[in-house]
Amino acid sequence: MGDENSVLSSGDAQHFLRRTGFGARPAEVAKLTGKTRGAAADQALRFKPSRKSLGGGGDLERMQHRWFRHILKKRTPALQEKLVLFLHDHFATSNDGVGEPKLMSMQNRLLRMHAKGNFKELVKAINRDGAMIEWLDTERNEKWQPNENYAREFLELFTLGVNDANGAPNYAQEDIVQIARAFTGWRWYGRGKSYLEEELHDFKGEFPARGDKRIFTNRGGFGAPGREFDDVGEGEEEINRVVDIVFDHRDSDGAKTVARWFTYRLLNFFTHGGKQNFMSAKGVVDELIAASGFDANWQLDSLARALFVHDAFWESASGSPDDAASRRSITWPVDFVASSMRLFNMNPMGRWHMIPGGDWESVAVHMGRMGQRLLAPPSVFGWDWEEAWLTSTTLVARQRFARDLTTARWGGRKSNFRPDEFLDDQLTNPSEIVNAVSHACGVSGRFTQSEHDALVDYLSDGNPNASLDLGELDGNNYISGKVRGLFALILGSPAFQTA
Amino acid sequence: MGINRRNFLAGSGLLGAGLATMPIFGNPFVRRALANIGNRYLVVVFLDGGNDGLNTITPIDNGGGTLRQDYDAHRTTLAIDPGDLLVLGDDPLSGAALGLNPALSGFAQLHAASRLALIQNCGYPDPNLSHEKSKQIWQTASPLGVNTGDGWLGRGLDLHGYGSSEIPVVATGDRIPGEFAQRSTGVLTIREIEDFGFPADDELAGDESARREAFASLYASAATGGPDVLRYLGATGTAMLGATASYPPLHDAYASSRPGFLEAWNSLGGEVAPQLREIAKVIHGVNSGVPGVESRFFHATQFGFDSHASQGRAVAGGWHYDRMRDLGDALALFYDDLEDMGLADDVLVLVWSEFGRRVQQNANGTDHGTAAPLFLLGGAVNGGTYGPHANLAESALDWGGNPPYSQDPADPFRSRDFRDVYGTILKHWVGLDEAALLASVLPPDPAGLDPNAYWTPGTHNFDLPVLAGA
Repeated sequence: MGDENSVLSSGDAQHFLRRTGFGARPAEVAKLTGKTRGAAADQALRFKPSRKSLGGGGDLERMQHRWFRHILKKRTPALQEKLVLFLHDHFATSNDGVGEPKLMSMQNRLLRMHAKGNFKELVKAINRDGAMIEWLDTERNEKWQPNENYAREFLELFTLGVNDANGAPNYAQEDIVQIARAFTGWRWYGRGKSYLEEELHDFKGEFPARGDKRIFTNRGGFGAPGREFDDVGEGEEEINRVVDIVFDHRDSDGAKTVARWFTYRLLNFFTHGGKQNFMSAKGVVDELIAASGFDANWQLDSLARALFVHDAFWESASGSPDDAASRRSITWPVDFVASSMRLFNMNPMGRWHMIPGGDWESVAVHMGRMGQRLLAPPSVFGWDWEEAWLTSTTLVARQRFARDLTTARWGGRKSNFRPDEFLDDQLTNPSEIVNAVSHACGVSGRFTQSEHDALVDYLSDGNPNASLDLGELDGNNYISGKVRGLFALILGSPAFQTA
Repeated sequence: MGINRRNFLAGSGLLGAGLATMPIFGNPFVRRALANIGNRYLVVVFLDGGNDGLNTITPIDNGGGTLRQDYDAHRTTLAIDPGDLLVLGDDPLSGAALGLNPALSGFAQLHAASRLALIQNCGYPDPNLSHEKSKQIWQTASPLGVNTGDGWLGRGLDLHGYGSSEIPVVATGDRIPGEFAQRSTGVLTIREIEDFGFPADDELAGDESARREAFASLYASAATGGPDVLRYLGATGTAMLGATASYPPLHDAYASSRPGFLEAWNSLGGEVAPQLREIAKVIHGVNSGVPGVESRFFHATQFGFDSHASQGRAVAGGWHYDRMRDLGDALALFYDDLEDMGLADDVLVLVWSEFGRRVQQNANGTDHGTAAPLFLLGGAVNGGTYGPHANLAESALDWGGNPPYSQDPADPFRSRDFRDVYGTILKHWVGLDEAALLASVLPPDPAGLDPNAYWTPGTHNFDLPVLAGA
């Protein structure tokens, strides 16, 4: 058991860097080792909200690459981008449906601006976000025949969840119908700004058969005492009032429903995605809410800090490969690719963002094959996490990337893989070389003896006692090929796929 | 000519009830044929997003009721013109003429050959309108939330008794479909067979075998202990490594022996055709006896059915129309390909979606609905239209504007629970025992619930006459 004053071992430091950022570089690990959980959390959260966007012009692939390059930059706060990825998955919006990369870029910027801000304000902004308005058909939601698409996902995914932690339903179909009515008439125009087209909005009285909009009447919504429209009126502010009401919604324990659901999602993202069901996570969720005050202040940074000093975040920190109790999380493709490239100070090559080795493909093509197209998640449910990331198809794709990255030697200096920079060329013993490569990849100590031996056999062609000459690692020769292959095997190993 | 299931069963007199009492049941060859999928194949095609069943099978006229009139009243701009629909025949209940979406000429062709069964009004109790929840319910065959971990076919595979080193399932794409989720055996996911080789450094002498060997050790080691995640990874990597050797040659074998069909496949547009093409290559390989290739179960997905808006008219360029066309054309070619291989009678295709769309359209699309038709096709299918079209009269719809689920024997519009279809497939195609299916694969809803509103014990029917022999 620990608290915010617990001191980090080097294994803890690796764990923290991997989970809150993209890979653990040996130098970063050294710097963080010996600090406290609280100090590590504060350091990771010490960034100013950024207004960085992915730019205006270009197609989806260019946007994907711009985001990826931004993630790779040394000066970009790693946790900020991790949070933006999480929010991108939470409010999953795909350019496949939106068809306007420019809108996707604006939504990406919105998520970045709010990455450690106020979640309630973010939800209000998402309601009016051009990409979202287009994606879930608010654009086509009008008073004559309200379109329920957005209202349903708004409740099911973005705010309440279908059921609470006790399995009780949080809302009924009727609530969706009513919220869809409240959202009628919102449109976006050319520059992505949204506005209410009053002629399309469902105002009280126009359709007498429908009655007034009534939402969660027994839980303090419209129609409950003191919550009529008459006091403030319908129209432009109504969309925000819906958010206020939904954020006040209480579950079957009387707790704030949105706070619990969102905290549960964040907990899963940073710990062991989806392994633990909502009911069994409820205790931890409530501790995080109590520690951060999230159910009143809705501050993402407070919630994240509470999580980063909580034992739940650290229980999987053990680096030992034999530790059956440790919970491992499978890295997202973007994390796998970015971690690999950050470890070796590599950048994609040129304006096509190629990896100049193997099949010569762009970073976006590689990640797409692994099942992650940024700005184009498979559906509004986002990506399936954990084991779902790794199937035979996507595992082959990860091996291909590892092979291509480590054979990259025909690009410029910044996009070539240079094993000589990470290995002492005086080493001759195959076992020591394997240890050094594991260290360079940030997975020292994660291989069992038999796994280590298999890697030694690969490197030495079955002669573990051979003396190898690493003198010409930068050249195109047999030993260089072998060392590159060793790096690829480690990047492609089970140890490196898990954080 | 090999024995296929249809003429085998017909010839052996194994049709109909009373099977267990027949002396022939003691014959080990017959027992094997009944205890597993044998030389048959099952292909599951998922229409992701909720397919509009009403614009898939559409009333042409009123027959003895008000079906077309009710349809027109709800589908003010999306209604398909009676003259455009491809005539199917009469609705078994109302006598109304029914037609297929004009994009489904591929289905019409299979229907004319009596190889397509359309099972109307399929659903489950307490219908859920969430994509995710409803999809999960269909995949787990568990509307009330028991058995939520494994898929219905996954539990079928467990019962079937596959070993952990076997790969009985191939899914096209990069995700393991929920209906195949289970723990006992491998599910291979492949996008393009041709592209599925193990990546090694081609310029480094002997690298492929050396790298394979090291990879095999790393993943075998992960498979043997440690956290669940590592064991899963280990098993996946081990299965993948084997398949990267045995699967890629299937492409060349197919291409060289079936160039005409390969060309036909490659000329088809849409999303599902390339997936069925890859499945055809694997079936071709299994049938040729390629070592290490033994898959009997397949899965493909077509996305894009969530037509809340811009559902489009039933003409080329219409959103729903184009998807229907892609589906119908691809399945028709798939059937032709299999027939040409002599395997049409050995392959069964199930087409499903997580729900239908709302009867009442919105401005230019349709919101989430409930019951919808299911499709079975293949050489062993008894073609035809099964069960009544849902009642579209306003008074018959539930509070949400959808046809209600019913198991009331007195209700002429009684629903077909999708578990009856699953059970029929598992019993008569996969060869699993009915009692075992009820016990561990498709358990009924709890006794004590209203038998008119749930699929309670005794309600099931795993002998729907949709399959020859059932």
